[in-house]
Amino acid sequence: MKHRVVSHSEKETFAFAREFAKTLRGGEVVALIGDLGSGKTTFVRGLARAFGIREPIRSPTFTLMHIHHVKRKFQIPNSLPDRQAGKFQIRTLVHVDAYRLQNARELEEIGIGEYLGKPDTVVLIEWADRVKDILRRSKKVHELRFFHGKELERKIILKTKKARAVAT
Amino acid sequence: MRILGIETSCDETAVAIVEGRGEKVRVLQHEVASQIRIHARYGGVVPEVAARAHVEKLDLLLRGFGTRDSELGRDGKGIDAIAVTAGPGLITSLRVGVDVARTLAWAWGKPLVGVNHLEGHIYANWIGHATCNTQHVTFPAVVLIVSGGHTELVLMTGHGKYRLLGATRDDAVGEAFDKVAKILGLGYPGGPAVSKAAERGNPDAIAFPRPMINSKDFDFSFSGLKTAVLYRVRDSNFKLQTSKFTADVCASFEKAAVDVLVEKTIRAAVKYKAKAVLLAGGVSANRRLRKDLGYAIAERLPTTHYSLPTLEFTTDNAAMIAAAGYFRARKRQFVDPMKLEPKANWQL
Repeated sequence: MKHRVVSHSEKETFAFAREFAKTLRGGEVVALIGDLGSGKTTFVRGLARAFGIREPIRSPTFTLMHIHHVKRKFQIPNSLPDRQAGKFQIRTLVHVDAYRLQNARELEEIGIGEYLGKPDTVVLIEWADRVKDILRRSKKVHELRFFHGKELERKIILKTKKARAVAT
Repeated sequence: MRILGIETSCDETAVAIVEGRGEKVRVLQHEVASQIRIHARYGGVVPEVAARAHVEKLDLLLRGFGTRDSELGRDGKGIDAIAVTAGPGLITSLRVGVDVARTLAWAWGKPLVGVNHLEGHIYANWIGHATCNTQHVTFPAVVLIVSGGHTELVLMTGHGKYRLLGATRDDAVGEAFDKVAKILGLGYPGGPAVSKAAERGNPDAIAFPRPMINSKDFDFSFSGLKTAVLYRVRDSNFKLQTSKFTADVCASFEKAAVDVLVEKTIRAAVKYKAKAVLLAGGVSANRRLRKDLGYAIAERLPTTHYSLPTLEFTTDNAAMIAAAGYFRARKRQFVDPMKLEPKANWQL
């Protein structure tokens, strides 16, 4: 998949999120970094939709953490070779917002430890640059940076730490 | 009937004792811990969200209630039941309040009530002043709950009987206020700062969108409005960013947000033939919302009763939890102290 995209609409951001969803295997942390209104929550909404989550994805700025369950029957469209497809199952999306937090310790105190690195869980953290320690301690981290472009454009750049660990 | 209320669902730790009689609730004691200075022994600021902070503050608050010639009395002899917020909220924070409430209920042999946080906000409307005679709320009632974390329209057909009509699909309205304040550099807390700046501005200066105002459902969306403000500020000539400009942006934004809230609330009240419209939650302190909703009701639903909570009880507190607990306790809707579990995603 592309690691740099320019999105002109919610629809295009959703399409990128869908592509990204196919690379997830469970146990990852997805760090979402970017200014206000740069499309972080929109991306999470697209990702949740790719996982077949129907309930509304609301901003966790005030509520800090939302847990969304992936329907059991839902399988991620897998881009892996056939013999590996179906080996991975993601059951839970954890949507966190660090906007009101000062450091990683606060994130631990709201109970994130229960979900980090869990094989059937993907943890999405908005404003992840505010809680960098959590990222340093996590094994599989995808970093997505969001930028405002001209007019309605948004640039999204994906970086993956330990890409190899993710691929196996 | 006297109820001890405990609230720890998110940022605030709060304890209260209320007395319910008939359709009215009177607050005897209430305390919100963020108002109390707690000097951290280990020299750092204790994060508000931490479960540990809730434990420390709850301990302090309850001790305070115990030592004064308090309404609580020795071993809870002064109260008839305990009410605690069991959700929705952060599971780690909720657990603190729930565990303390369970323990006290068991130790003192008092019945226990699990209260939904949103139900608590609604029942802030039943908390009356000692001096003024508040009119009774009659059902069905349409309730608009607005705060930093919530934007919900609820149909209430009786005490404890709710139906969720609609909710925000993205940002809560209070969050939109906060983020607009951030965009304009107005500081924290953002809601009151935006409202204050808006007083000097022209609400018709900028035509911001009114998201979903014409949709048939009762859902809301405020993320797009926030982005519209962001673009308007970004694309404005920097030299024009005077205090007049800031005031106009605030006033126009506030008007756009309030217009949607008022329109949907009125439409819900018409559809469900509401006898009363209630406002609840932290954003119900917003002047324009209080006023515009009042005008709209007077004009379009003149026979409908309009109820507002006392300002003091609009933000998170335990008196509202105890008030909701009273109406449940009255119907003997108790839970087993051994079995009450916090529910992070509890729907009303």
